[in-house]
Amino acid sequence: MSKPQSPPSLSVAYLGDRFATVLVWLTGLLALALPLAILGFLAVRGMHVMCWEFLLSGPSGVPLGSAGGIGPAILGTLYLVGMGLAVALPLGVGGGIYLSEFAPCAFWVRLLEFAAECLGAIPAVIYGLFGYALLVVFLAMNISLLAGGLTLGMMMFPIILIGSRAALAAVPSLERESALALGVSRSWVARRILLPRAWPGIAASAVLAAGHAAGSAAPVMFTASTVFTVTNPAMTTPVMTLPTHLYNLVSEAVSFDHAYGTALVLVVGILLVNALSMLLRRRLPEHY
Amino acid sequence: MVAMTVPAGNTSTLLSPARVAWRGRRWSDLALWAVSLGFMLLGTGALLLIVLYVAAEALPALKQAGGLKGLLFVLPWEPLAEPPSYGILHAWLSSLLVTALSLLLAVPVALGVAIFTSEIAPPLLRGLLRPCMELLAGIPSVVYGFFGYVTLIPLFENSFGLAAGECILAAGLILSVMVLPFVASTATEALRGVPGNLRESAYATGVTRWHVIQHVVLRQAAPGLFAAIVLGLARALGEALAVLMLAGNATAVPHSPMDRGQPITALILTELGEAGVDSDKYHALMAAGLLLMVITVVINLTVLALKRRMLSRHV
Repeated sequence: MSKPQSPPSLSVAYLGDRFATVLVWLTGLLALALPLAILGFLAVRGMHVMCWEFLLSGPSGVPLGSAGGIGPAILGTLYLVGMGLAVALPLGVGGGIYLSEFAPCAFWVRLLEFAAECLGAIPAVIYGLFGYALLVVFLAMNISLLAGGLTLGMMMFPIILIGSRAALAAVPSLERESALALGVSRSWVARRILLPRAWPGIAASAVLAAGHAAGSAAPVMFTASTVFTVTNPAMTTPVMTLPTHLYNLVSEAVSFDHAYGTALVLVVGILLVNALSMLLRRRLPEHY
Repeated sequence: MVAMTVPAGNTSTLLSPARVAWRGRRWSDLALWAVSLGFMLLGTGALLLIVLYVAAEALPALKQAGGLKGLLFVLPWEPLAEPPSYGILHAWLSSLLVTALSLLLAVPVALGVAIFTSEIAPPLLRGLLRPCMELLAGIPSVVYGFFGYVTLIPLFENSFGLAAGECILAAGLILSVMVLPFVASTATEALRGVPGNLRESAYATGVTRWHVIQHVVLRQAAPGLFAAIVLGLARALGEALAVLMLAGNATAVPHSPMDRGQPITALILTELGEAGVDSDKYHALMAAGLLLMVITVVINLTVLALKRRMLSRHV
């Protein structure tokens, strides 16, 4: 007499499979819900302070920041990121062109990429520490737009370099070699063949780096930011920034309403920037 | 930062461009070559400068009593004591605790998400998960800190009866959400890299889907999954604002997850503003930064090496 086989739907393996599948589904749904929950939370709590006055005017009230708006902080963040881009974009794209077009051997490429990847791996707070020690103190730039912009530029450089190197390397070598065979110069190839094909990738990495820089408080806290400014940003004066303003509102318990509003503006801004980067990447011939 | 793989071998090796440009005597080419090389060296030179400068500024920290051992293991952080002492034991222990907790929470979920994305999810959800993960990765550290501050801290105060809700566990919880997208996307990449014919041969033997995942896919992707976890570790160690706002910023050596702590990044951000240039405190902060920098760079290089090895094996 052999024991009757249990039907397959009750076997240990089948139940194990079902159980694991349910668990994995749950984690997947959690991953879908988490960002929506965080965004929704900020939106619900922050929406009611949102108005043009909040976005455009400067902070006021006692304690400072409990009334008014975040206009100077938005402006300061834009200036800082623009300044960082002005430093990092030429350096990153130039470096990318060098790596993909001029590097004499594979070893040299690998060495330079290794350095860029190390730079990308350094935490944001170290850039802040370095920027403070070298730019603010040693080079006596003081806490200023210039020092903060340079610090952010250093942080953005490896992202843009690796991104533009990848975008340039994705241009088919057949095209550049056909052009060279016709006798045109390298610089003509770079200007008329490489850049038109690779610019969406380069722009995507620049935009990604900008979004990353706009949200980081650690590098600008001691190099560029101040609690309050009224004047327009200038190279040698400190600026307000969105992330440090949010930090001040919370750590000094100034106004949680305004903190929600600031957080919402910051997150929505960065989301839009990241979405732009994604759209740009879609214009590339192939995803890398 | 999103990891991108660069197709190798796209640089033409036949014509060494600099040499061709030189022979052709094309001044525009030479200019482009010189400018691009200059920018490259200027940018990567920053790395050398950062490492050397921070190291040089960190060195005097070893001169205080106890040297390296005192700095790392013995001395407390007591800037107001007489004489003041600057040991960073509490900071790296806090960093370690916060990071370990966050990985403990994030890794199982991230692996689940990766398995879901690459093996189980219907195409619609798969398409949604990637932007969702990018969204989570895009939220800035300070916003996570704020979010934790208004959700977790009151929760902890009410349910655990703590006087103040800030503690290492709160920081670890928020940090786990922050590293989740990075671990999940790298792990998904690793699972996707497992060749389809391995899966199909396993299915052909009549085993369940979970059996295939567990014994074939996960095993095959193990180095990549390890790389994902290590990458999460590096990210968690380097996070600054969120742990500054949630860990409690206490300079005592933490003993349990419910204690207040001050990870390295929080120590730097708290004290840097008040550290006089060339003071002992300033050098101690530089030493803490050097420690953090060395750890994260070494970790990232390990990940790179692992990834390269995986790529060369599969292609």
